[in-house]
Amino acid sequence: MKGEPMTRRELIRALGTAALSAFPAAAFTAGRRQPEKRQAAGPILRVALIPCSDYEPKSLLEAIRAGWRLTRPPDVNSKRVVIKPNIADFAANRPIHTHVRLVEALILHLRELGAREILLAEGPPQNRDSEWLFQQCGFEAMARHRSVPLIDLNYDNIRSIKNVNPRATLLRDLYLPETILSAEVLISVAKMKTHKLAGITLSLKNMFGIVPGIKYGWPKNTLHWNGIPQSICEINGTIKTHYSIVDGVVGMEGHGPIMGTAKKTGVIVMGDNALSVDATAARIMGIDPARVDYLAMAQRIKLGFLRRENIDVTGERIENVRTDYVLDSEFSFLRAPNG
Amino acid sequence: MMSPSLSKALDFIRANQNSDGGWGYRPRCQSFTEPTGFCALALFSGGDKTAAGRALDFLKACQKDNGAISLDPKDTEGSWMAYAALLAFHALGAASEERRLKDWILSFKDASDRFTPADIKAIAATLHYDASIPGWPWTPNTTAWVEPTALFLIALIRAGTPLTQDRIRSGISLILDRKVRSGGWNFGNPASMSHKLEASLMSTAIALAALAAAGYPENRPPVEDGLRFLGRCLAGEVSTASLGWCLLVLKSFSSEASRVQGIAARLAGLQAADGSFRRNLFETALAFLVLVDPGALLRIPGRNG
Repeated sequence: MKGEPMTRRELIRALGTAALSAFPAAAFTAGRRQPEKRQAAGPILRVALIPCSDYEPKSLLEAIRAGWRLTRPPDVNSKRVVIKPNIADFAANRPIHTHVRLVEALILHLRELGAREILLAEGPPQNRDSEWLFQQCGFEAMARHRSVPLIDLNYDNIRSIKNVNPRATLLRDLYLPETILSAEVLISVAKMKTHKLAGITLSLKNMFGIVPGIKYGWPKNTLHWNGIPQSICEINGTIKTHYSIVDGVVGMEGHGPIMGTAKKTGVIVMGDNALSVDATAARIMGIDPARVDYLAMAQRIKLGFLRRENIDVTGERIENVRTDYVLDSEFSFLRAPNG
Repeated sequence: MMSPSLSKALDFIRANQNSDGGWGYRPRCQSFTEPTGFCALALFSGGDKTAAGRALDFLKACQKDNGAISLDPKDTEGSWMAYAALLAFHALGAASEERRLKDWILSFKDASDRFTPADIKAIAATLHYDASIPGWPWTPNTTAWVEPTALFLIALIRAGTPLTQDRIRSGISLILDRKVRSGGWNFGNPASMSHKLEASLMSTAIALAALAAAGYPENRPPVEDGLRFLGRCLAGEVSTASLGWCLLVLKSFSSEASRVQGIAARLAGLQAADGSFRRNLFETALAFLVLVDPGALLRIPGRNG
């Protein structure tokens, strides 16, 4: 079938994505469950940018240790830690998912730090065959080898909690898995990718995967009808990610998050504030984070900061690792100016 | 006659029935409608009417005034899991609940009438499907997808809904419309912009099972291509649930009869020493049913009319 060219706005509307204006700027001032402590005037959020050229276990463990040391990570000693990788789908020739060895390195690091319990948890968004996905992506074998439970969040026990956005509609009562609700420390390990509907997908968008399929389906289409930026902000406003890691060793450019092509970037981005981690990762991809609607919305509702002056980037300089990702033409407006 | 190992599958199911009469996907987990419907069918098929009856009580507790079935008794919204409750109500003879549920399923709407003509045109241009065809969504008033449409078709047809019913016909049209060009089905997008998307095994097997239930001819390209895709996948690693759905498909199309024995043995070989399949209650019940009593899910030609 051949159609006429269409604008991104038309496509998003057609896919049931609601208007972007329904989120009140002050939504979280009173209601956020785990308020950000560093929201005082002039906060500086710290993000580590660690070069890592390959997925060799030794390089990855060293990178994780370095990034952890350079940032303000949560205390994991004696805690129940849940790791949320991105396993959106599997294809042998495309880097769709977080590399399993990066997650394995993180597990080893958390054990060194005395984590009481470590769980791996993901709810794949569109392919309901999680057993097959976890096998193909290497997570099942790794989890068994490291004696870490691998939880399919799509079929977990669930409980509804109040969305912190008082104007929430479709997600007013947000059903979430017990594994996530009972986590003492939640760590996102996302993949650096472009996204055909959201522009880019990093730590904040990775949280779509905590929403259970048994309630919201495959794909989690209720989140689309609710508005993708709106849903990203409502989920991340209601559930705090305590630490975020973005796998940019090899990312995905073009028609991500599934059908794009590999992009070697050689970097891991880490920090305790998901928004500032994502803003930094976006800059590495050659994208102006302020032009990504959900990142701008997240800043507006005080989930963190995306401005350069609020982020202390340690480790490597962004300019030294910037690798412009190919964007679908509908998202060409996201491109950051050079320099 | 049931083999001792399959009898152990029923023991595993029985041993893990929750006090509310239902089952979770895993032992000692929250009861949900889908695993409960399948476990009830398996126990009923195995002759345990007492345990199946307790499961029926759980499913009845999930039914709302409008006939909808939610994913558990506390949830207030109708759920895609209702398909499993319909299969169980039908098999266990809960006629009144079955009738109310059928009416609700036939009125369970997707988003097809929320799309404007411009939306439909845009979706056709970008995702390459016809969004005006009504099917079934996972959640009310959202987009229809392949798997919920196929699951509701399977249940409605098994419960005797005529193939001429409008929703049945449009559901079949939706499945045919969403097929992936290279053969088979995925969750429901054949393409994205200029990219042809790939099929996945579980979606393909469930879509083929629905077409089999509807008596769709097996010598037509959608089925032939789907079966070829299924055959290619079966040559590699396959999950327990996908293997179960595949066996149901192979038993449903006469052209696939020669493969049934081998795939049945492969599925049976996945059973653990405790009688379960992957310690998953839904998968254990599904495996039991497709091995022992596939007619509980589909009318198999030559076996149950």
